[in-house]
Amino acid sequence: MADVIVFWFLALVTVGSGLAVVLLPNPIYCALCLAMTMVGVSALFVTLGAYFIAGVQLIVYAGAVLVLFTMVLMLFDLKSETNAFSRGVITGAIKVACAGVLSGLIAGAIVMTLGQRSSVVSPLAEKSAIDSTKALGKLLFQENVFAFEALGVLLLVIAVGTVSLARSKGGTHAKH
Amino acid sequence: MGKDTLEIAINGLKLVLIFLMMVQAVPILVWLERRGSAFIQNRFGPNRVGPLGLLQLLADAVKFLTKEDFYPRTAVKTLFYLAPVFALIPATLAFCAIPMSTPIQVAAFDAFGSSWGPYVFKIQGFDISVGIVYILGMSSLAAYTILMAGWGSGSKYSLLGALRASAQTISYELALGLSIVGVILLYGTFDLTSMIQAQEGALHFQMMGQTVTSQFLPNWGFFYQPLGAVLFFAATFAESNRLPFDLAEGEAELVAGFHTEYGGFKMLMFFIGEYGHMMVASGLFAAFYLGGYALPIPSWNPAAVLHWSTELLGSKESGSVLAAIIHFLSFNIKFGLLLWIFIWVRWTLPRFRYDQLMDLGWKTMLPWSLANAMITAVGVYLASVAMV
Amino acid sequence: MQSTSFLTEIGLSHYLVLSALLFVMGVATVLLRRNLIVILMGVELMLNAVNISFIAFSKYNDRVEGQLMVFFVMTIAAAEAAVGLAIAVSIFKRFKEVNIRFFEHLKG
Repeated sequence: MADVIVFWFLALVTVGSGLAVVLLPNPIYCALCLAMTMVGVSALFVTLGAYFIAGVQLIVYAGAVLVLFTMVLMLFDLKSETNAFSRGVITGAIKVACAGVLSGLIAGAIVMTLGQRSSVVSPLAEKSAIDSTKALGKLLFQENVFAFEALGVLLLVIAVGTVSLARSKGGTHAKH
Repeated sequence: MGKDTLEIAINGLKLVLIFLMMVQAVPILVWLERRGSAFIQNRFGPNRVGPLGLLQLLADAVKFLTKEDFYPRTAVKTLFYLAPVFALIPATLAFCAIPMSTPIQVAAFDAFGSSWGPYVFKIQGFDISVGIVYILGMSSLAAYTILMAGWGSGSKYSLLGALRASAQTISYELALGLSIVGVILLYGTFDLTSMIQAQEGALHFQMMGQTVTSQFLPNWGFFYQPLGAVLFFAATFAESNRLPFDLAEGEAELVAGFHTEYGGFKMLMFFIGEYGHMMVASGLFAAFYLGGYALPIPSWNPAAVLHWSTELLGSKESGSVLAAIIHFLSFNIKFGLLLWIFIWVRWTLPRFRYDQLMDLGWKTMLPWSLANAMITAVGVYLASVAMV
Repeated sequence: MQSTSFLTEIGLSHYLVLSALLFVMGVATVLLRRNLIVILMGVELMLNAVNISFIAFSKYNDRVEGQLMVFFVMTIAAAEAAVGLAIAVSIFKRFKEVNIRFFEHLKG
């Protein structure tokens, strides 16, 4: 019973703060709400038994990526935005489509789960967190070691590119 | 049903107790900091209220509570009021995962017409098997508090202090994480309790099929990872924004950094957060490198202490309580010594310049911790080859 | 009995629906917002939504590969965020503005 309550609470937190990201006009509140979504997603990973990934999610997303977003937004210091949302016929259509897809998803989900009880798959046997982390480590460093190394190269390239972008004054548009 | 309810209730109570313990430790640390700084600087320090000025803390608390509650005209009110509250959360949640003593065993008993137990209560907020990753993740959330306070205050000094502090936190998190990699490789686990259990017994090295055992030294992580320990300890100073890395609140340039605009109890909550980070760092250091709650003498390992106290008191349950108390005291002595080192360093070393700080983090500590992880990996591999 | 099972039995479909909802929110953020950095945040939201379904599939099919994919997605998302923010910073330096309306013409 406790896990059901936890799931609904986390679903409420993630969906609520996700909606806030779309709807709040102030970008700093958006970033803080997105951080809350990330923490909620990390807690969802814990309910799914992916403890290590949950910790990494907390460190990488909530602890580093979104802190960077918030820092950049605070440096720009756009206290209020007059044109936070796009206007016009096309974006109006997009808004209607988004709302339609959202409500369709919710309605479809309810109908699906009410109609077919067999779609609720019972979870498999609980594995201990140590075992699942160990299995992940084996998979990462033995079978997929090439992908891991390629990611390392990617990160190096990204680091160099970011530094050069940030140091150039105005990028390719620099005034002479 | 009743069995689970009691267990949940006790675990909830444990969380509250640990939070109260943390908050209660703060006034003692403030007193220690003020008396200690006075001792180091050859002054008296607070000595008027109560014996040795111990009641100064109570007077301070009353003062903080009765101060006027104000906020600056340019402040963003929501963030300004939320930031001090959020300052408490990461440190508290992280501290809950640190094991502080051996578990207490409670035998099955009958009460209120139903049978309860047997129970095993761990002296730890909650037992999470990936404790290290969890604690790192939680303490990385502290950057938000600082940013919220800095931007929400609507003042240039606060914003600059907050940007400095969060940049510093992110930079030193790398060195911190990498210096722990050595310990994780050595013990092969993310679980703090099993890490402490691996440090029991006497110090011994296995080389070329031979075992060298020391009679006096305990099997602590510090002897295997001296470089990692030093790097970890230095990085935690930067993580908790303490001198010599307290660039965030360099008084000469920034008045007081991100909490310039705060006063009264809100200020006190930032203090509790900062001391909370120090406590998490000290607890982690003790668990990684100083054998956690175990006594420092090799033959008095937790199992031996439990055996001795069981024989002394006659029953397994009361023996486990006595052993838990002994280990809790042992943990607290290590913990207190480490916290004293934090205070000692603060009043001994001068502050770095900002570029020196970043250079130290990125160009010195990061390569050294990488090298430490590399050497440890090779060492662990060689040891495992020699074993087979 | 059937009406309560939707609320009290959490299964794979619940996680998938949650993931789909978050994904749609991410898409909406990218399409509707004008602030460059908020658009980047929408991309992050979409990636996170996908991560939830990866982990849910990994749990309910008892395979670890899902967690591995999430690991890779996170690394690439961090890299993408770093480059995106660097571009945003240099655009802000040039135009003093991060509203995408101000630099939709591809000329200096």
